[in-house]
Amino acid sequence: MKEIRIGVYICHCGLNIAGTVNVEEVAKYAETLPNVVVARHYRYMCSDPGQDLIKSDIKKLSINRVVVASCSPRMHELTFRKAVEDGGLNPYLYEHANIREHCSWVHDDRKLATNKAKDLIRAAVRRVYHHEPLVIKEAPLNPNVLVVGGGIAGMQAALDIANGQNKVYLVEREPSIGGHMIQLDRTFPTLDCSECILTPKMSDVGHHPFIELLSLSEVEEVSGSIGNFKVKVRRKARYVNESKCVGCGICEEKCPRRTDSEFEMGLAKRGMAYIPFAQAIPHIATIDKREERPCKAACRAACPIHMNVLGYVSLIKEGRFKEAYEVIRRTNPLPAICGRVCYAPCQQACNRGQVDESIAIRELKRFAADYERNASRIKARPVEITKEEKVAIVGSGPAGLACAYELIRQGYPVTIFEAAPEPGGLLRYGIPEYRLPRKVLSSDISYMKDMGVEIKTNTTVRNLDEIFRQGYKAIFLGNGAGSSQKMGIPGEDSHGVLYVLDFLRQVNSGVEVRLGPKVAIIGGGNAAADAARVARRLGVDEVTVVYRRTRAEMPAIPSEVEQMEQEGVKIQFLSVPVEVLSRGNRVTGIKCARVEMGEPDARGRRRIRLVQGSEFTIDADNVIMAIGQSVDKSMLPEGLVFTDLGTLDVDPVTLQTNVDGVFAGGDVVSGPSDVILAIAEGKKAARSIDAYLREEELSTGEGGQVEKLSEEEIAKLKEQFGSRKRVEHSKPDLAKRVRDFEEVEQAYSIEEAQQEAERCLASAIEGCFQCGECKEACEAGAINYDQTDQIVELEVGVIIVATGYDQFDPSVIPQYCYKKYDNVLTGLEFERITCAAGPTEGKILLNDGRVPQSVAIVHCVGSRDQNYHEYCSRVCCMYGLKYAHLTKEIAKADVYEFYIDMRCFGEGYEEFYKRLSEEGVNFIRGKVAKITDEALTDEEKGKLIVISEDTLLGKMVRVPVDMVILCSALEARSDAENVARIFTINRRADGFFLERHVKLDPVATPTDGVFIAGCCEGPRDIPDTVAQAEATAAKALSLISKGTVTLEAAVSTVDEAICHGCGRCEEVCTFHAPKVAARNGTMVSTINETLCKGCGGCAVVCPTGAISIKHFTQDEILAQVAALTEGS
Amino acid sequence: MEVLSPYKEATDIILEAGGEPLKLCYQCGLCTGICPWNVVRSFLVRRIMHEAQLGAVDFGSEDVWTCVTCRACVQRCPRGVEIIDVMRAIRRAVASMGIGIVPDALRISAKNIAGVGNPLGEAPEKRNDWVKDLKVKDFASGTGILYFPCCVPSYDPDVKTVARSVATIFNKVKIDYGIISTEAKCCGEAIRKAGHEDTYQSLAQSNINLFARSGVKTVVVSSPHCYHTFKKEYPELGGKFEVIHVTQCLASLIEEGKLKLSRRIDKKVIYSDPCYLGRHNDIYDEPRRILQSIPGLRLVEFPDARENGLCCGGGGGRIWMDTPKGERFSDMRVEQAAARGADIIALACPYCFLNYRDSVLSMGKAETMQVKDIAELVAEAI
Repeated sequence: MKEIRIGVYICHCGLNIAGTVNVEEVAKYAETLPNVVVARHYRYMCSDPGQDLIKSDIKKLSINRVVVASCSPRMHELTFRKAVEDGGLNPYLYEHANIREHCSWVHDDRKLATNKAKDLIRAAVRRVYHHEPLVIKEAPLNPNVLVVGGGIAGMQAALDIANGQNKVYLVEREPSIGGHMIQLDRTFPTLDCSECILTPKMSDVGHHPFIELLSLSEVEEVSGSIGNFKVKVRRKARYVNESKCVGCGICEEKCPRRTDSEFEMGLAKRGMAYIPFAQAIPHIATIDKREERPCKAACRAACPIHMNVLGYVSLIKEGRFKEAYEVIRRTNPLPAICGRVCYAPCQQACNRGQVDESIAIRELKRFAADYERNASRIKARPVEITKEEKVAIVGSGPAGLACAYELIRQGYPVTIFEAAPEPGGLLRYGIPEYRLPRKVLSSDISYMKDMGVEIKTNTTVRNLDEIFRQGYKAIFLGNGAGSSQKMGIPGEDSHGVLYVLDFLRQVNSGVEVRLGPKVAIIGGGNAAADAARVARRLGVDEVTVVYRRTRAEMPAIPSEVEQMEQEGVKIQFLSVPVEVLSRGNRVTGIKCARVEMGEPDARGRRRIRLVQGSEFTIDADNVIMAIGQSVDKSMLPEGLVFTDLGTLDVDPVTLQTNVDGVFAGGDVVSGPSDVILAIAEGKKAARSIDAYLREEELSTGEGGQVEKLSEEEIAKLKEQFGSRKRVEHSKPDLAKRVRDFEEVEQAYSIEEAQQEAERCLASAIEGCFQCGECKEACEAGAINYDQTDQIVELEVGVIIVATGYDQFDPSVIPQYCYKKYDNVLTGLEFERITCAAGPTEGKILLNDGRVPQSVAIVHCVGSRDQNYHEYCSRVCCMYGLKYAHLTKEIAKADVYEFYIDMRCFGEGYEEFYKRLSEEGVNFIRGKVAKITDEALTDEEKGKLIVISEDTLLGKMVRVPVDMVILCSALEARSDAENVARIFTINRRADGFFLERHVKLDPVATPTDGVFIAGCCEGPRDIPDTVAQAEATAAKALSLISKGTVTLEAAVSTVDEAICHGCGRCEEVCTFHAPKVAARNGTMVSTINETLCKGCGGCAVVCPTGAISIKHFTQDEILAQVAALTEGS
Repeated sequence: MEVLSPYKEATDIILEAGGEPLKLCYQCGLCTGICPWNVVRSFLVRRIMHEAQLGAVDFGSEDVWTCVTCRACVQRCPRGVEIIDVMRAIRRAVASMGIGIVPDALRISAKNIAGVGNPLGEAPEKRNDWVKDLKVKDFASGTGILYFPCCVPSYDPDVKTVARSVATIFNKVKIDYGIISTEAKCCGEAIRKAGHEDTYQSLAQSNINLFARSGVKTVVVSSPHCYHTFKKEYPELGGKFEVIHVTQCLASLIEEGKLKLSRRIDKKVIYSDPCYLGRHNDIYDEPRRILQSIPGLRLVEFPDARENGLCCGGGGGRIWMDTPKGERFSDMRVEQAAARGADIIALACPYCFLNYRDSVLSMGKAETMQVKDIAELVAEAI
């Protein structure tokens, strides 16, 4: 083996080392050590002449090992390795001894320090003896760059790199890029509008061919190392197809739920489907779906017009009744009416009914409608008529009204022709007032008139051509089924037999109807129930309803039947009248027979059989027939075709009759039915008429399947929500109610309605509850509630982290009363208020809408305070001045700045401070002690009083103001710890990311190839942030330009002869360098030298000692340790 | 014109006397703003800090003795300056070096404490006379708990009921406790804050020796001031034993079900947080829990409660000094209590007791407003 010849060089570092260590003595000592050929000391070894000493000794004295004793190896190890290499040796034949940080700087005693330096040098000499030359390898660098965070820092870095035609992946957690800067109104000290200067950059980023923007995404895992990182990114489900969405915003408009807008700092609301702000990039919607809906929304599917029940119920729950009413109005033309007389299939289908009791949906709808009507907030705005084609509607029952409502909303001029003196059809002439008060009916109808629907009453339409001649382009027939069916039994012609519709029409028209003391009603539908209850109210003592099937089959609304019985009406089930009994043509009763229920027929209704010999008699002075209604053909125009059942024959899809341009719906088509079904038909006809007039194909169908909960789901929901019965509301006294026509069903109170709405399972969840409103409205078909998060893997060479900051929450400072007093704001809230596009459109307003006359601006809120953050947030003095300027300019208010020290250090900053002084801002030097509303004088009443010492005056001050702005600190992101872990970045005690060197390497981190920019590194202003971002870009571009990375030479090696292939090295290595695989028949570990960082983790866990690390071999380390323990 | 020349020696005196923390002060004035004195009179805490930094303290000023050591300023100080320590150091400089004037009232109390071991100047042998007919055993080695009532309940005729209530409760629940011999002395907390360090040292040493000799392991105290110094200051001098405030003790007895409160007190009660129980030692909930467990009792709160609670005015040795009418915090408190319709002001500190008692009497509210220690209320509710 070649002779080992060592040169030792001791640096004075000026007096840094030589001041404490006797360098001459150390050099002399070093010369005495074995294999040391030469030992020198020099004032600055790092200088060129210092390095030349080494190079010349290598040549002249043939030294082949070098030890330099100087500062920390972090500072100059690479410098001297380079010198050794320049001298012609392998750079790894070098050892560094730190006699500055470890010796001179930490010791005072010259003698002891000198001895310690000798020890350290001896150990280094002993170790360098064992050093081997190592091969230095290079690997290609992937030129793609990952930028994390789409604020100003991330965008700037991404643009700089992408402009050099390098691929950049920009990952942003929020739905849009822009960061905090886009929330700012204006920027100090130039007062540029933040939007104006940032939006172009955002747009550039969005459209840059070299930038791939991954919004609503987060980095989850990073592996590999500089030049070759592998990054896993979670692309969070947006529930919107990014490529289909056009950013029209209809989804947000339609969304019934609202939540605080993050962008507007909670000062405005956004939908659960939303675009965070007007300039958002990407300009596409996001759905804020946080959890799955616990129920199946069967209510909506069951409703014939698919009302957004979830939507309005949840709004009622939140006390937003006006919005609830608006949601109802979107689909339902007659909310108050349906809130009373609808048979509520929604309620029957409601999934909560499977858990305990269904939601009282009809009552809630009525509540919303009544509440708004009582608050006089229902006011229809005239609809702008945009279309030329006039449409005529015949009949003003629910079908006709619904058809008119839909058509006028689409801009068609609509006229309703009504034969009766008042509009409403059966709503008015069929349903008694105690169920549907006339003022409610009138309110819903006049709403439609206000919209612009023309209603011509007392006008019977006989001739369709006549209508067309008047210029109408389409006609809808909603004439209804207004004639009562006859029973066809003996005695039916007797005096005292009435037909239900005639009876109700007379009563409802105010005609006096006289009934005897006993009345029998034949039938089991709603009309029968109505007739029975009306009879009671007309003073009839004994009312008997005769129905041929059982209670279960009764078509009347169950609650109506229940109330009818409460009111003293008797029901004879399983009975059919066989004869009307009379004396002198005057009714005396009816003879009935009992029936039995037989097998169900094809339609599922059970047949009935007369029981022989079961006849019985019911005494009656009047008999009211309520067994069914049919279409009165005599009231219809000529030329129409009818079905066998006597109803109009129409196309089942388009509802068009045999006459072109004439459509029909409601009872005239279906036979007697329900209000909501008639409304559905009317709406359907409106769509059909629209398609007809625009000469388009009619798109068919909407809505969905009524789904039930499974047994498991029911059990789970029971556990989750417990049992909670429907909220009952009071009914008027029974005795009183049969005496008049007052409405029986009482409306919920506000509390009751909200309590009942709380029971809705869908409303129980946060965020989007997938009501489907947006999905139906989205013409692009972009919405998909079933999207899931996707993991994408990126390969990049360089990473830039620019994750920004959080605003400190001042509510933790009790004496500042943030959130307790309305007009105490944070900085970002004030930014939104002064922004022209913000919630107040740029007006500075107090909570009650007044303009403040005086404003206090409190500095250092959460900053420079060891109870919160010890550091200075650096931007607050300046933005505080900006607020002062804006307050003076916009609100013309007095401004008091409470500061401790003014820090205005940047370009134009001091000048801005001076300008604000000129503008007449009052500066009070003192940290605010308290903000209170407890007034001591009249002047303070109704104000917020800011209490502080004016430390320059040495006096306490109490300043009454209208608004207080807290200049809240900037703090590290709440998840900074996790981000630091993912990217292997260190953090300072204050939570911000730590740069590699505060002065000389300010954007690098301990992990090669990972750089940091902007406020994630600490509070800074925009100019500094942009400069830093550009610095990271320069770092990245420099690496890309070189194209390769130098690999660590001091890597692990495996002695295959000893390796057992146990795999522990694989488990422990975070860089995935070792791999255990079969080699010559045995399992052994092999190190991938490209990945190995030489950390030594594997060598430590290796049970057989097969793994060693080059440059840190056992021989080297033990020699060094042994030398240290010997003593000089 | 008066020109100030910084007087380093004065600063050094203060620093040596324990005022080291004042170096951190950056003169924001928050302390002044928060100090309750500034509601009734001017007291520029910040200015004193700056004077101390520069050695320009006016040792003759009455401001030297103004601080009630309530800790409101320290609690919020952005630089963590232990302002009370600075105030104490200034007083220490005055008291020990004679470079200023000690107020007369304080001087008398200090003399009493140094002479007979209690501020009232009562005979030491009468310290345990409050027991009278109650069965209370003398503490002996092996006794579970030492009950240490504080000088005020031991001697003051109005406040003795506090100690007697505690003994009554302890007897009722059969706690193994005793009281220490009449060799015991004032705990010394307040006189130390008033700058009399030597007196404090000797009191503390005497008590520590007595406790050690008697085998005391656990002490239950009625005064938050005893609590504070036993728990936080005695250990530095070698006195190490468990310290429990009586409200902590009663709260846990109630929660464990050992102490049952069955008699109703149908009164509106307002609780005033003692500074040395609350801000100094973070005990806020136990007193409230006790009061809430008394049947019929309706607890109301002061506008500034808990961390923001207003001092009674008796801390830092102020209990022995005169405060002119119009500047008394306890008067303000009584007004606030009356405004909230309280029938009883509940307390957990003998100093508060004295101040509130005097306020109620001097304000002529004795008919409508009672002042009671929580222990008294508990004893009534058993």
